[in-house]
Amino acid sequence: MKIKLFPKNEQELSKLFVLIFPLTLLLSLTISFLKNAYFTFANLLPNNSVFNYGFLDRLDTQAALGLVFGASLCLSFSYLFSKSLGRSMVLFPIVFLTLLGVVGTEFLDILVNFFFQNTAYDLGNSSLLILLKILVVFGLFGLATLNLLAKKEASIFASAQFIYGAVVFYLISLFIVRAELNVFSDIFLVNSLYTGTHIYVGVAFIYMAIVHFLMTRPLQAVLFNKTLSSITFWGFLFLLPWTNFKYYYGSVLPNWIENISIYLSMSLVVPLLAFLVNYIKTIQSKEVDAEGSLNLLNFSVILFSITTIFHMISSFENLLPILGITNFVNVITYGLIGSLVLATISLSYYLIPKLYGREVNYSRLEDITFFGFKISYLLLLINNTVLGVNSGYSWNAGANAGSPTIYGEGYGIVWSLISFNFSVNTFISLLLLGSGFLYLISVLRAISSGSITTVEEMVYSND
Amino acid sequence: MRRTQVSDLVNKVAELLNAPVDLVQRSAEARAQASGNSVEEVLSSWAGGESVAASAASAPKEEATVEEAPKEEAPAAEVVEEVIEEVVEEVVEETETQEVIEEVVEEVVELKNESALSFISGVLLVGLFTFLFAFVIPKNQATDIVSDSLNNSVSASNEVIKGAEVYAELNCQSCHTQNVRTLIPDTQNGKVLKNKFANETLINNVGNIRLGPDLSTSATREPTNNSQWLTRYLSDSTSVNRDIPHPSYDFLDDDDLEYLVTYLLSLGESNE
Repeated sequence: MKIKLFPKNEQELSKLFVLIFPLTLLLSLTISFLKNAYFTFANLLPNNSVFNYGFLDRLDTQAALGLVFGASLCLSFSYLFSKSLGRSMVLFPIVFLTLLGVVGTEFLDILVNFFFQNTAYDLGNSSLLILLKILVVFGLFGLATLNLLAKKEASIFASAQFIYGAVVFYLISLFIVRAELNVFSDIFLVNSLYTGTHIYVGVAFIYMAIVHFLMTRPLQAVLFNKTLSSITFWGFLFLLPWTNFKYYYGSVLPNWIENISIYLSMSLVVPLLAFLVNYIKTIQSKEVDAEGSLNLLNFSVILFSITTIFHMISSFENLLPILGITNFVNVITYGLIGSLVLATISLSYYLIPKLYGREVNYSRLEDITFFGFKISYLLLLINNTVLGVNSGYSWNAGANAGSPTIYGEGYGIVWSLISFNFSVNTFISLLLLGSGFLYLISVLRAISSGSITTVEEMVYSND
Repeated sequence: MRRTQVSDLVNKVAELLNAPVDLVQRSAEARAQASGNSVEEVLSSWAGGESVAASAASAPKEEATVEEAPKEEAPAAEVVEEVIEEVVEEVVEETETQEVIEEVVEEVVELKNESALSFISGVLLVGLFTFLFAFVIPKNQATDIVSDSLNNSVSASNEVIKGAEVYAELNCQSCHTQNVRTLIPDTQNGKVLKNKFANETLINNVGNIRLGPDLSTSATREPTNNSQWLTRYLSDSTSVNRDIPHPSYDFLDDDDLEYLVTYLLSLGESNE
């Protein structure tokens, strides 16, 4: 197993990120487990600045939506982008440094939060670190643009399109976080659009880039219809950034933006259908059977579809008062991150023989790992939906049952209804942590002791 | 069998590129000749959304089988003349074929060359549109409305602001909102959040997810209107209620705890 500290081409760079991804995922799942375990074992844990829910929740967000997203973006950018454009990267050394910068700044965010808790608020979004992130992502945006302009192929293939869309909206999300807060509605605008651009577009588009590659090349299948993939791309790009405002229905946001958000959320059905038809018809034309990790891909599509359907269903006006500002909002994030993780795992297993020249032997270890991930993400989605609906309803009952002059009197009713779901969340995050650990072992085993096979040489002509 | 597969691929690629089958077939042959790959590989790459060059070296090349045909013997001079004629014909044919192939390739590239510039412009335009209409315009609109209203700002002392910063550092807003909506289910929870100018930290603390009770009127209710009770609860929450898990902040220094309590006691004050 040779990993060069200073890679000379896309292949060597991709090797690095195939190894980094499981590590970042494991870190994220560990933090997530600690966060969820807080509610179950609060009385047993020591009282300090680390073991409290607020701190762990912030760390979990940074790890999942920052670090894991960044690692996945870098892996897909380093391998799929050049492959889709048919040329080696323009200014490759700078691309390497920029991609390292993306993962590095996201990791730095976690470190700063961990070691400088008292000053994390000042160091975080408001000052140096966010400026550094903007600089790095702006560099990535510039390099992606340059490479697109210098493409060798007549067509721009779907994977490159989706990666470019993700980079642009990731950059926009960083500018939005820097916005000045003057009146109360500003925080809802910032949060909604940040969620819409970074999580909904960023995560979903990296996922789409991987799926559009894995559903064709490894299966030797033919993309059913390029127009449908264009509808998927432009549809999601236009609609997704608007879809989070609805969860603040009834808040101080301008009414028109809440209403537009509701209607545009329902319109997600168009790109979703285009994607599903394209995926199913493409898979039907496959020449080889999906084996091993590629089965994860099908499951990730199911997960993504359920998430988008939840997104649409929650747009009904009579459901929004119940579901808005509850844990249900997190379901969409969990679903998208889950889909991305499953697709990236699938991609990493596909790349190990191609990049490291080692066959992946699909044994019981891999079966257990895949099953663990699949069942955990599905349960996470279901449990948090139930949690959101339950807390939405019980808030009404609880708040009305309590006396208006006594703080939180009705909260006992709420907690008695939702505490079980939090215990289930702890169990699910333990399952995910176990699966993440097995995944890391499986990757390391394949890289170090898998039987030797032919390495893919990515030869490009830039003339 | 192999021919059928190639023909299927040609049809699919033609459909994908929206180009005539014949044109695709000839282009693939030309590309295959230029890149040293088989026609099938070229077509698969086109169909799979991957560049041909990228897959060039990955596919193992099949060695061509050599068939030996029985040859009739002929006088040496005649044989030389025939060979020369064949070579000349082949050269002429090859040149013609190459010209045709080059024309065909140019034709296809011209036909389906997607402009990277227009794609980039499209994405940036959507980004700009989103930023403008989903952020800048509603933000300015809300600010203008607040500016025009009579009582349009929240005043807070330095101690309250410091307490709000401690609240934000502890990330209390990950569980508690200060956002009572104008919806029937929320009206029992307290004072509806009004849009006003305020300190950035105060704005940041309104929260997104309501896991614990809303705090917007906590200082007007019992027992959260009592500073001693709040100090005891925040230092050791289990001493008050063991059933509902709430973090204990006994690791905070005395000043920060005091600021936090001051801030919590300011919530619900009439600022109308």
